[in-house]
This record gives sequence, structure tokens and C-alpha cells, in this order.
Amino acid sequence: MKSSSIEAIALIDANNFYASCEQSINPYLRNKPVVILSNNDGCIIARSPEARALKIKMGTPYFKDKERLNKLGVTVFSSNYSLYGDISRRLMNLLRNHCEEIEIYSIDEAFVSISRPDDKDLHPWARRLRSLIYQNLGITLTIGIGENKLRAKVANNLAKKIDYSAGIFDLARTKDENNYLKGISVDKLWGIGKQTSKWLKSKGIKNAKEFRDMEENEIIKKLGIVGRRLQLELKGYKCLPIEKRKKSKREIQVSRSFGTPITKSEDLTQALAIYAIKASAKMRSQNLQTSAISVFTRTSKYSSQNYQRSAYKKLINATNNTNTILKIVVALSKEIYNPEYKLSKAGVLMQDLTNYEYLQQSIINYKPQKDIQTSENLMKTIDSLNKRFNNKAITWAIAKKPREWTMNRNLLSRTSTTNIKQIPTIVEKKYN
Amino acid sequence: MDFFGSTSEKLKIPLLSDSISAGFPSPADDYIEENIDLNEHLISNPFSTFFLRVKGDSMINAGIKDKDLIIVDKSLTAKPGNIIIAMIDGEFTIKRLSIKNNELFLKAENHNYPDFSFRNHIDIQIWGVVIYSIHSYL
Repeated sequence: MKSSSIEAIALIDANNFYASCEQSINPYLRNKPVVILSNNDGCIIARSPEARALKIKMGTPYFKDKERLNKLGVTVFSSNYSLYGDISRRLMNLLRNHCEEIEIYSIDEAFVSISRPDDKDLHPWARRLRSLIYQNLGITLTIGIGENKLRAKVANNLAKKIDYSAGIFDLARTKDENNYLKGISVDKLWGIGKQTSKWLKSKGIKNAKEFRDMEENEIIKKLGIVGRRLQLELKGYKCLPIEKRKKSKREIQVSRSFGTPITKSEDLTQALAIYAIKASAKMRSQNLQTSAISVFTRTSKYSSQNYQRSAYKKLINATNNTNTILKIVVALSKEIYNPEYKLSKAGVLMQDLTNYEYLQQSIINYKPQKDIQTSENLMKTIDSLNKRFNNKAITWAIAKKPREWTMNRNLLSRTSTTNIKQIPTIVEKKYN
Repeated sequence: MDFFGSTSEKLKIPLLSDSISAGFPSPADDYIEENIDLNEHLISNPFSTFFLRVKGDSMINAGIKDKDLIIVDKSLTAKPGNIIIAMIDGEFTIKRLSIKNNELFLKAENHNYPDFSFRNHIDIQIWGVVIYSIHSYL
């Protein structure tokens, strides 16, 4: 019976996820060095194994490495989040079919629970899953298995570190646990922050094994129940459950960094207006409406200036109507503008989201139903036109003015799995 | 305005208009079903299915023409006789997986295009199995 078998937890993550997504739908990139840049083509945030082998470092600003990458023949891409999002959705759904419960932890990692077979060996399951995902999506997985989430995470680390693991490590079934835990530095432990690891090191606790065996009262005194929980998990007790259901979205944020910093008031207003248009459409697509809107802006983290402001407005009537939201956002944008600073990022936040019910509204601001019906139809029409023409059909005038600050994505890969105009093409060649 | 709405939903459920239901109920009311959704009927493994476009007429004898849209299921294991997408020398190609003298090879369905043998190409990887092709007659 399933209920009597022992449940294991695995942390499954995709190796070099963004680079693998690009390689999986573009044969030219197979076995070639590929790197992906962060928003605004800022830093290197993903590398294919081939790029890794060339000693290209994560986090390097692109402009610093540009020449070298060119010389080495590395293909460079801007982040293509619609592709990565689609492959992630496919990955999580495929994983779901091969485990009991799944908690999606990030775009490329998930905790899953799985019962151990009679012989307790989960390696065959993990090997099958790895080859299935590789065949279906061209993505290579690392699978770490343990009694709980923390130990699954540790096992995942070990699977990456140990060459002969072939991407799979089961911490609950190893005979040499102490040695492996000694190889994990305390600051690499999930849930242990900078301050805590500093304190632990001052106490002579350097690795996961020493933390596991530490005097529990000492941990409770300094780190409280959270520290104790970490220690218990490391010992193999199960403290954190798998969280199956995603908490319902309580806010929608649209924010971007600017390609060129903004100093003019009208540019900030325009940027926020464009984000507000996006956020409103997003709410409508999820049948949500907002009753609190905030906007924010800030200077670059790397600049010597430091300025950040936000402004907020609570609404009497919840809405997802772009016209209404635009008016509010435009007004709020004036409150956060400051001509003395070079602004590098801004965003809008739709909060207090509730499910959208047709024509529900408060008595104070009562409008004849026909008005609302008309503007609702307008929104529907705009949304469907945009859906049909790939967000290029219709927008508000404010979004159409020429802009200089837009995000740099000069190296965006043109291939897509979600837009029929950009699907991969097979070009057949005749005999020469 | 609702005219545009009809193309946007993936799966539209037809409803009768108010003007009819205000009078006598339509005799068809109980028989209204959902519209046909091709995704549902053509694709059994949606998470491993991809769309690609063909350029060229290398598969003309198999009925696949230039500019056709093809649907590829990567979860299927290719068998001889299947039309497949392979990666060869950094490019996609569409061919029929075939067998001659006990040896697998990739066959073009047009004599103007080359076949590929696994023996001569070390770097062949079968990417997925073609399950449908869609041709536009307009």
C-alpha cells in the first residue's frame, strides 16, 4: 500500500535553464557556448556548459566581457522570458505526472514528494525522469533526494558537486553521510543567512555536519525556533510540508529597468502609463480587479545617487479598467518624480486584488450601468484585438510617443514556442 | 464589438443571445455543445508538443509542402516509417525514418534532396516525431 511506504522529498532543478531553453529549440546552438544576459543586457545570468568550460563567469557585466565573448565565438542572448516561461510551464506539468505532490519553487526548480518503492531505491525513478525530460524538452535535470526539503536541497548540491553522481544523489541512502555533510559549508545551507553563518563560524561551526551535531540549546538561544527547525531538518525530521497550492496572487507588478536613465517628468509618466496598460490587461486576463494602486521609481543600485519614492492610492471601487487606472497612475507619477535624479527603474503595483464580478460596485460612486457596460466592452475588444495581433493592434496614445528609455534587448533570440510567427523553421537544402 | 471577441478565446462556449431567450426557449438549447478545439483533438501530449514551419519541398511525396505548419510530439519514440525532425550539423531537417538492408537512415520524400545515413553522420539527433502537417489552400 502506498500509505505504508516511506515518502521521500526530491528537489529537482534544471541545469543552465535559460541557456538550455535556447539550445533545445535551436540546433545551431547545440554543443556550442551560449550565454544569456539579464534585463537591459546588463550581466551574464546563464551559461551553457560549453560557455562554463570557457571560464566565463556568472554576473560579469556584458560590456566588460563583450570582446572576449566575441573572440571565443560565444552566442549571446538577451533574456527571452516568454520562451523560458513556456518551457518552465511544460517542465512543471511533466514533473507533476511523475510524482505525488509538487511545489513549484521557482522558474526552474520544484520540490516533489514520492514514495519509495519496496527496495527503497529511487535511482531508477530519477534516471527515468531525467531521460524523459531530456527527450521531451532538451533540459537536463539535477535531482537531489532526502527525507525532507532541506536534505533534498543538500542532496541536490551534492549531485552537482560529485562528478560520478550523474545528476542524482540520494542523501537518505548514503552510507557516508558525515563525509558528504562535511563538504557542505554552513553558509551554503538553505535558510542560513550571512549573519547567522558568521556567528556559526565564530563558534567553530564550519560545515553542515558540525551544524547538525551542534548543542541544540546553543542554537535555540541564538537562532530561536527557526534555527532549531533547520537543525532538526538536517537530522532528517520533516518540519516543512510540500506546499501544493500556490498562494493566490495578491498583487500584480509590472516594472522594468530603463535602457537609458530617465530625467524628464513626461518620460517617467509615459513609462508608468505603459506598465499600467500592461498590468490592467494582465488583471483582466486573470479575472481580477484592484482596489489599491501604487507606483515606484528609483535610481540605479550602482550609481552614487540614492533616491527611491513610491506613491499609493486606495480606490473606492475596485477596477481593472485601463482608462480609470491610467488616470490614477499618471497623477501618482507626478508625486514620485524628482528632477534631480537619474531614474533607472520604475514600476506599478496593483494590490488588494479580488475576483472580478460583473458590474459589482459600491453605492457611493454609482454610475448608470450602461456606461460601465460600454467601457467594459471596449476593454474586451481591445484585449481580443491585441491577443489576435500579438499586442501590436491597439493601445493608448501615451504609449505610442517615441521613447528613448526602453529596455535594451538587442540580442533577443527570435525563436519562440508560443508565437506562431516566430516558431522554428526547418530549411531544407537540395543537392548541391 | 463581440465580433472580435469570438477569435480570442481558446475555447468559446456559444451562448444564445438575450433576444431569443426573452421569448420562447430555443428547441436547440439542450443540444448546444462546445466548439471544436483542435488542440484538444490533435494533441495528446500538449507539454511535449511543438509547432514548426517547413521551408522547401523535400517531403512533397509525403504530402508535406513548402510553408506547411507541422506539429511535432517530442515524447514519442521514433519508429521506422515515422516522419521525424532531426538535428544534423546544427540544422533542423524533416525526413522519413527508414530502413534499408537492416540499417536506419533518413529519407527525403523528393529525389532532389539528399538522404542521410547514420553511418556517415555522427551528429544526428532525432528531435521529435511529426504527428500532423497543416497546409493552407489559400
